[in-house]
Amino acid sequence: MNTRSILLFIAIIVGLSVSVLAQDSADANKETPWLEGVTIGPHPEELSPVLPLKIYMENGEAIPATLTEDVAITLVADTAIFDPEPPSEYNGTELPDAKWTRNAAVSWFFIDWEKNKNVAASATHQLALNQMVVTPLNPTGKGAITCHIGRKMRYTSPETGKNKGTFANSSVAQDVRVLDITPPTCGLEITVQGGRSGTFWVAENPPNKYPLPKLADVYFSGALVKEADPAAIITVPGLELGANMVVPQEMAAVYVPADAVLNIKLNGEDNYKLDNAKLKYGICKIASGEPVPISPLNASEVALADLTLPENPYLFVDATDVAGNRQVLFVPLIVK
Amino acid sequence: MKSFNRFWLAVAVMFVCVASAPAYAQTGTAATDAAATEEAAIPGSVDMSLGVKDTTYVMPENFRGKETGEGDQQWLEDVGYLMQENSDLYNVDAAAIAESAKFAGEPNINWEVKKEDADGNLNTESSDNTNKATNNSNIKDPGYYQVHNGGARQVSTAGGAEGEAVGDSGGESGGESGGSAGGSETASTGNEGDAGAAAGGDAQTVTAQQRIGIEVHDCTAPDVWIAFQEGAGTVNMAATEEALKAQMVSKIIENMGKPFSTDAKDFEDASYIFLEEGEDADRDSIPWEKTARLSIAGTLFNERGAPKFESGKLSSKINQNDYTNHVNVIGGEDKSLKGVYVRRNVPFIIAAISTDNGNKRASAGEVEVRIEDAAGNLVEKDGEGYLFRVPNYPRADYKDQPDYFFATSAVDKDGNLTTIRMPLYVVNTQAAFEGGRNQ
Repeated sequence: MNTRSILLFIAIIVGLSVSVLAQDSADANKETPWLEGVTIGPHPEELSPVLPLKIYMENGEAIPATLTEDVAITLVADTAIFDPEPPSEYNGTELPDAKWTRNAAVSWFFIDWEKNKNVAASATHQLALNQMVVTPLNPTGKGAITCHIGRKMRYTSPETGKNKGTFANSSVAQDVRVLDITPPTCGLEITVQGGRSGTFWVAENPPNKYPLPKLADVYFSGALVKEADPAAIITVPGLELGANMVVPQEMAAVYVPADAVLNIKLNGEDNYKLDNAKLKYGICKIASGEPVPISPLNASEVALADLTLPENPYLFVDATDVAGNRQVLFVPLIVK
Repeated sequence: MKSFNRFWLAVAVMFVCVASAPAYAQTGTAATDAAATEEAAIPGSVDMSLGVKDTTYVMPENFRGKETGEGDQQWLEDVGYLMQENSDLYNVDAAAIAESAKFAGEPNINWEVKKEDADGNLNTESSDNTNKATNNSNIKDPGYYQVHNGGARQVSTAGGAEGEAVGDSGGESGGESGGSAGGSETASTGNEGDAGAAAGGDAQTVTAQQRIGIEVHDCTAPDVWIAFQEGAGTVNMAATEEALKAQMVSKIIENMGKPFSTDAKDFEDASYIFLEEGEDADRDSIPWEKTARLSIAGTLFNERGAPKFESGKLSSKINQNDYTNHVNVIGGEDKSLKGVYVRRNVPFIIAAISTDNGNKRASAGEVEVRIEDAAGNLVEKDGEGYLFRVPNYPRADYKDQPDYFFATSAVDKDGNLTTIRMPLYVVNTQAAFEGGRNQ
């Protein structure tokens, strides 16, 4: 074995090692982009106790697996972090003279796993440190309430005999889903020849109202609503958001010529998911509170001359979300 | 030859070793260590590491006399620190969480900053759901803080399952609900909810968290307001210096140290010197680029007694050892602030107060003011205020008269300092300054 072979061997080993490590690092970053730039390991170098935590309802019962949007629940956190003294040992390590040196810090979050977004919970009224009112505001099929509690503590280091500060941590999650109880808030955009248009849309107001019923305002704009001032926005306030949203003609209507061809576009909105299979819109009359279509359903173009119009025709949107909440909006259609 | 073959056999073996070496990625070593044969339970939480990535501007543990051993970090206000954290929740696979466990989606990562109030309560200052394990943390006010990272991730033991429909409002929905947590099959009209996270069979949320205690040190010189008020003409001079201070306290707090007006007409009752950190953008400058804004308002800052409001920016000088700042204003003939011009035989009082960003300028503190001669000897008050009977201005005309100086200094508890020293001239005038006339 000569020197050249040894050098060749070393060169191959070094090159191969660098190549493998670089490839693995790149693969890791691709698979774990959230760790980009992180240079520390996953475990704390210094002792930092992780203590068990339980969260439950104010009355001591378990948190239901299913919550309802806009309905507040009061939760309680139970952990040794609220004890008068910190633990005297952790994972077999003695923690002599352990004392809390700061108050506990508590954070509650609601994670919507479907969006991977969280919302910090905050109580507007005074509660004990271990309590929190959580009001889920948006429906989700996969969510979690999380509670994170930490407290600064001090103990005498067995190695050095000196004081040492660290944090005791507690965190836990309760997986929940959140029921949707808010009907859709759909509207329509109507355009006729010459570019004149009329739009109406719906907004829940007040938002997140509970108890039911939900209320909503209906907004109107465009030349087909108010020819003299197309930019004006007319508000019809306080309709019950649901299956019988009839806009009074004296408050707002869509005015169209008798020979108009209506281009109809849906503005579909829901706080979770619309059930598109149940979506209907067009021109109708009302019978027993239900829309009776007189135009082809969901047609993007409707020629009024082809229809037999009733005495009081309406533009309508009949929308249902995947939870079954239904909105039916009737807007008077005035044919001139 | 035989030994040569053995050599290449060794090379081949080492190739295999290198090629199968553990990757740099976090691939869950704990599970292999455990070598458990049974499926382990998923824990509710795991531990987490948290620290500052670049410690260049992290001060030593005993900075400004802090007790060592507490484990708190010593930061400077307005300096951004890149934080990083890590946990087994962020691995490529979930083997380190539990045997046979799988991640059912990406982690949720939240960065939070809490500040301790006077009662020891930790109140949330900011909360950012970034889903990134690094975060720039820039704290702009001094005090004791905790930076908290909370992580969570869905972990399942095995397999997958159907997502659940969301909601049954008691109406007709029931089994008709077509919702899917995975969001794959339900049509949605421009709405959220279709993120399509993998639905684990028994997916449960596992959490991790860690905190760091941080002492954020004040590197900003205090704001100072000084009022000069004469007792002549239509002005009702405050009875005492304390009474004049009382007039200023609410204004300085309300205006966060900034001048309460920039209109010269609003300074007919009293003249003011405002020395403060300036506009909001200036207030967030890093400690070694701090500036201050000097504003003078009223009739006493020129020999003619003309009312004016002027403002300019000053540099602040940082102490490279303890990072305290010193704003020093020196007035004089060749300076933008020439001096303060008072009238002979007209009594006046001076009052000064300060606010500090240490408590978000929420309270006003006392500041000592003095008038002294060139040798530093104090000029005695005449009752509650000052009264000069002999003019000394123009200086060329009154060379025999002493130089007078107005001086004040304000220091916060961290040692940041604001000082002002400028000539005080006694003008020979009998006219009221309100009219802008001079003899």
